[in-house]
Amino acid sequence: MRINPDPYPDILSSVEQTQQQIYTDEQQIASGQSVNVPSDNPAAAAVLVQNADQTSQADQFQRSIGSVQGEIQSADSTLNSVVESLQQAISLGVEGANGTVNAEDRQAIITQLQGIQSQLLNLANLTYQGNYVFAGTATQTVPYVLNPSSSSGVTYQGNSGTNSVTLGNHFSLQTNLPGSQLFSGSPSNVFQSIQDLINGLEGGDATIISSAVSEVSNALNYVDGQRVFYGNALNQLTSQQTYLSSETTELAQQANTAGGADLTAVITNLTASQTSLQAALEAVGQTGQIDLFSFLR
Amino acid sequence: MSSLNASLATALSGLISEQGAMATTTNNVANANTPGYSRQVPVLVSSDPTVVDPLTFGSGVTLQSIESIRDPILESQIQQETQTNGQLNSLVSALQQTQVNFTSSTGDIGTAITNFFDSVNQLSTNPSDLSLRQDVLTAAGNLATAFNTTSNNLTAQTANIDQNVVQSVGQINTLTQQIAQLNGQISNLQNVGESAGSFIDQRTQAIDQLSNLVDVSVIPSDNTLTLTTGNGTPLVIGQTAFQLQTQPILSGLHDVYAQGTDITSSIVSGELGGQLQARDQQIPAIQTQLNTLAAGLANAVNTVQAGGFDLNGVQGTNLFNPPPVSGVGAAASLSVAITDPSLIAASSDGTPGSNGNAEALYALNSGAVVSGESPTDYYSGIVFNVGNATSNVTAEQTASNLVLQQLNDQNSAVSGVSLDEEAANLVQYQQAYSASAQVITAINDMMYAVVNMATLTG
Repeated sequence: MRINPDPYPDILSSVEQTQQQIYTDEQQIASGQSVNVPSDNPAAAAVLVQNADQTSQADQFQRSIGSVQGEIQSADSTLNSVVESLQQAISLGVEGANGTVNAEDRQAIITQLQGIQSQLLNLANLTYQGNYVFAGTATQTVPYVLNPSSSSGVTYQGNSGTNSVTLGNHFSLQTNLPGSQLFSGSPSNVFQSIQDLINGLEGGDATIISSAVSEVSNALNYVDGQRVFYGNALNQLTSQQTYLSSETTELAQQANTAGGADLTAVITNLTASQTSLQAALEAVGQTGQIDLFSFLR
Repeated sequence: MSSLNASLATALSGLISEQGAMATTTNNVANANTPGYSRQVPVLVSSDPTVVDPLTFGSGVTLQSIESIRDPILESQIQQETQTNGQLNSLVSALQQTQVNFTSSTGDIGTAITNFFDSVNQLSTNPSDLSLRQDVLTAAGNLATAFNTTSNNLTAQTANIDQNVVQSVGQINTLTQQIAQLNGQISNLQNVGESAGSFIDQRTQAIDQLSNLVDVSVIPSDNTLTLTTGNGTPLVIGQTAFQLQTQPILSGLHDVYAQGTDITSSIVSGELGGQLQARDQQIPAIQTQLNTLAAGLANAVNTVQAGGFDLNGVQGTNLFNPPPVSGVGAAASLSVAITDPSLIAASSDGTPGSNGNAEALYALNSGAVVSGESPTDYYSGIVFNVGNATSNVTAEQTASNLVLQQLNDQNSAVSGVSLDEEAANLVQYQQAYSASAQVITAINDMMYAVVNMATLTG
């Protein structure tokens, strides 16, 4: 049988193929990725698009957690100060209820309580990064202003709105409590209780003073109880941070499985390709050096 | 009875024929590397004998013709496969260029979608913050730019392919002209009984080149042939070539016409077929998906905007300029409608601190807003489609290359020049030539003997 007398096109095409393979392998080694263009592995390329999106989302959730964490911590520690102020008010109230206290001392106690009152006003008007923390969603409005005509001495100008922020694919966290719930609503009103205590001390009736002290005490317990909300929120944020960082690790593993280059295999392939390229090139060098003409003299 | 002169003539026919055979071998060796050349063999036949009753004497050898060795069936298979190969080559080169737009980068649409929603999530943590609002506007602008760039790149690619279409038609016309001329030369030679081998080789090669450009049917007839496109539009009939024309259509792209008829949609293979497929089907399909995504996303964002309140407590307005209702051009024309960051409707109750609507905006990230899918899922679907189309045609191209290579191997086994074979033939012809020369020397001696004998007698 007659064979193809011109083997060069075949050899060259095989050389080209091997060079293409070497190029692909080198690209994979350089990028560390087996999917450098979508056609390298269309399904993996689609997975990698979603993976990149989820990875970026997880990073964003971490940043958002950082942002809300600051505000919640600030609210929590402010409530702690409120509780401490109320404890102080209770001690002052108990002292003032004592029959042995003279008018001058009582006036001193009243002055101290008025100091606590304005301190509480400051605490309730806490701002964090330019926002009033306890104004509901009316964060650009001072929540509490002095109002002598109000029985509690203050007026709440905020609203009862709350915000929730998405901080995970299936995790959303309420980030605030409005002042109307914390300080000036039912069942317990911080400002009313302090004002009642001041009024009681001014009147000097021991029974009224005692009743006002227990009102303050109720307010303290109530506010202290509300702190649980912030404590829980901080705990949830911490565990979400842990979850997100493990999710990020998982996503990185998934990305590597879908599109990472198997370097050991690639390098083995590359070596094999280089050997076969060398062999093909040597074949080109040797083919056709000899034909019958060489022997005719 | 036979004469010495007759023997001399017989020996001479040997000399002439072997010389002719030698010339054929020489030509083969000279053309060993000529593309498309089919090896030629001398056809030697013994001359008509002379009958000198009761004997019949041979009268030598005639070089009847010089025949090119070719296999028409293989050639036809090569032409068929070349058409497929040409089509796949255009498609692969087009799609490889297209898919670069969908390779993950800092500016690709997928990343821009993610960044936009990330910025909305950050805004949700502090909805009244102007710098976070500005970040959302910037991300929306980048998203619009990503759509614009990708869509414009595809449009530019379509325009380039259109240029290739016009060029391909020009090349087709040049080739059909050449083939018509070769048809003339071949039939002129064959009509006077001469071998047209090298012209046929040239024509075969021209048909191969034409097959690489367009789907061609070859209909051989006496001493000539007819070429048509796949759907029967004539390209060459005998010595007449029928030119194809290109004319711009409404879209600004060019359609292909044959004698006034638009044959664009009937051209399916060859490079021209592949170019048309990429230009009219593959790339427009991707553009349509981009438009669906851009329009779906922009409309969903605008709807959520309208359901909330901006930083001033006013009902939200469009964040993106509304895409065309038909969706056509939505990706290329996507743009941000507002420049004032306070106009982002993050609030659900009208207060600046409410993030309810920013959350609603963020929910679009995972919502069924584009053909029942989330924006990122839909985009990853486009990436899959583009990658899959590219990978499929690349695999087909690899297979077609292999088939073509094998067919060419087979054809070369039939028609290629083997130097070993030619060397052996050369020796053979040389020896036969020498032998005929020896015979003439012998006849010369005999003649001499006869002439001397006459001298002696005289």
